[in-house]
Amino acid sequence: MFKKILIANRGEIAVRLIRACREMGVGTVAVYSDVDRAAMHVRMADEAYPIGPAPSTESYLRIDKLIDVARRAGAEALHPGYGFLAENPALPRACRDAGIVFIGPPAEAMELMGSKVASRQTAARVGVPTVPGTCEALPTLEEAARVAEQVGYPIVLKAVAGGGGKGMRLVREAKQLPDAWRDARSEAENAFGDPSLYFEKYLERPRHVEIQILADQHGNVIHLGERECSLQRRHQKVVEESPSPVILERPELRAAMGEAAVKIARAAGYVNAGTLEFLVLRDAKSPWGWRFYFLETNARLQVEHPVTELVTGLDLAKWQIRIAAGEPLDFRQEDVEWRGAAIECRLYAEDPENNFFPSPGRITRLERPAGPGVRIDGYVYEGWEVPVHYDPLLAKLVCWGRDRKEAISRLTRALDEYLVGGIRTNLPFFRRLMHQAEFLAGELDTELIDRMLQQPPEIKLSAPLQNVAAVTAALAALMQASPDGAGTRSSAEQSRPPSAASSWKLQGRQRLLYREPR
Amino acid sequence: MQFNVTIAGRTQRVELRRTATGWECGVDGQPLAADVVEVRPGAFSILVGGQAFEIHVERDNEHYRVHSRDTDLVAAVEDPRRWHGSRAGGLAAEGRQEIQAPMSGKVIEVLVEEGQSVEAGQGLVVVEAMKMQNAIPAPKNGMVERVLVRAGDTVEHGATLLVVS
Repeated sequence: MFKKILIANRGEIAVRLIRACREMGVGTVAVYSDVDRAAMHVRMADEAYPIGPAPSTESYLRIDKLIDVARRAGAEALHPGYGFLAENPALPRACRDAGIVFIGPPAEAMELMGSKVASRQTAARVGVPTVPGTCEALPTLEEAARVAEQVGYPIVLKAVAGGGGKGMRLVREAKQLPDAWRDARSEAENAFGDPSLYFEKYLERPRHVEIQILADQHGNVIHLGERECSLQRRHQKVVEESPSPVILERPELRAAMGEAAVKIARAAGYVNAGTLEFLVLRDAKSPWGWRFYFLETNARLQVEHPVTELVTGLDLAKWQIRIAAGEPLDFRQEDVEWRGAAIECRLYAEDPENNFFPSPGRITRLERPAGPGVRIDGYVYEGWEVPVHYDPLLAKLVCWGRDRKEAISRLTRALDEYLVGGIRTNLPFFRRLMHQAEFLAGELDTELIDRMLQQPPEIKLSAPLQNVAAVTAALAALMQASPDGAGTRSSAEQSRPPSAASSWKLQGRQRLLYREPR
Repeated sequence: MQFNVTIAGRTQRVELRRTATGWECGVDGQPLAADVVEVRPGAFSILVGGQAFEIHVERDNEHYRVHSRDTDLVAAVEDPRRWHGSRAGGLAAEGRQEIQAPMSGKVIEVLVEEGQSVEAGQGLVVVEAMKMQNAIPAPKNGMVERVLVRAGDTVEHGATLLVVS
């Protein structure tokens, strides 16, 4: 096992990886940009070194600086986390050249699986169905128009190097193609430095179900079941769960998809943790009433990996490290058991009342839920200033229950306990989602959230709560207006713990001018 | 002290009166037997006849955000002695309006020119923050009077981007 690992990332995933290392007795080396000096991952690591200014192109994306820190600190291995350089084959190559173990797939497998076109070809080779479309980058608009005509509209243009909805356009009819082609290419160029596009037939209301795999260096490849990620906003996943409500009643479908994923991973020479995404559609002709198509591979640890950890009891981050250190998987496919249900909400610094605009800034208050079945993978703390430079993920709230119903009731309860002050977050959005009928019924699709947001939110406001809320708002206004006046305590003084003699204690009955209304 | 508090479209008159040991309160002339403990700044534990409420309040520009369990509310609080009439101006759907940056970020593209007519909802400026590009829409039909930013500019939260009249 390694003695020391460099964590080439920030935010919640850096904290997650440091936790895994700590449990394994492995030392951790953090890196940080100028704005991250006081970030949680720096505070938690054994060692931490600066790697440049805030923009990620000058810090977290600088391979030379990461390798330099790893060498100087004597780290034997490097974990890329997700995002940033996690799926850039130049990083495993640079690690190999420097004699540092890269905790992830080898560069060649990453290249093959990271390219959507190449991974589609690999799937086709081992007989796994893919969504109809092109298997290679389209050379010209004319060629795209010709092939689209054959496959039939609607189609979705996608960036060959892409992900996260960037460089992606839905084209419903031929006349929209030229504009969509131009926009998608420029977006792909900006986001990934590669304007190449391919397309797929657009499938109505597909469900996004992905299979987690683990592959060691000794030829063992197993799958850990599925996560359903159909709840998305702007092509970004916001809620993930396992088991998929579709698969819950159909264990054979899980086995078939798992087997397909393992076949593709083997064919690609994949090693370490990876995820294979599928689209699943209703199909009466299929033996399970549902049909699946391979979509793409994520050659990294996923944001939503805790969902699988909760239902399988396996620690994926630790397995990544063990596999990279050369250890074999010590369990077989038939040993993998799934228990209960887990659901994750991605807590973002964004304002659901204002079109989900990003909302960076200082966190003035943070109350985190706890109790049975609640897991939070986060990195923020009270006083932390969420920087504008990186993605707005603050934390992942994941709840486990013995079945989906209990997982939802725990999540609902935990969301009610969660409070983030100073910035806006999407917590109110999740609180609303927990009562949405289709979500509760497990009927998930990528447009469910858009449909929900088109309806005005229903405000449940009882008369007692309205009164109490009004009084509290008035008290807050009074404090604001005269923080020291009328004998009230100033804001600074209020930070001391409350006592029975607190002047803010409004003793009801005996001290009231009014009589209690009955 | 008296305040007019508007929540979810309903305005109530709240009275707060200091006593030797605490506060008395009333809503719309009715006494409210509330036992209020500020457990920490902005966090209140309130008991009304045994019914328990945990309320968090946070100031947000001109409003207060009030959170209770699964309910998120926005409260407008007016001190009748201080403010006569509304202070709101920036968000009125009439007249000249300054379009402000809803977050700090970088201007990616200005989609309109000075003198151009725009419709409510039409994208005016694309601002990137936290890796997301967002088109800032026109709040109403009108004409772009001034454009104050250019592509590539870095803007702070609240900075005026353009003026629509």
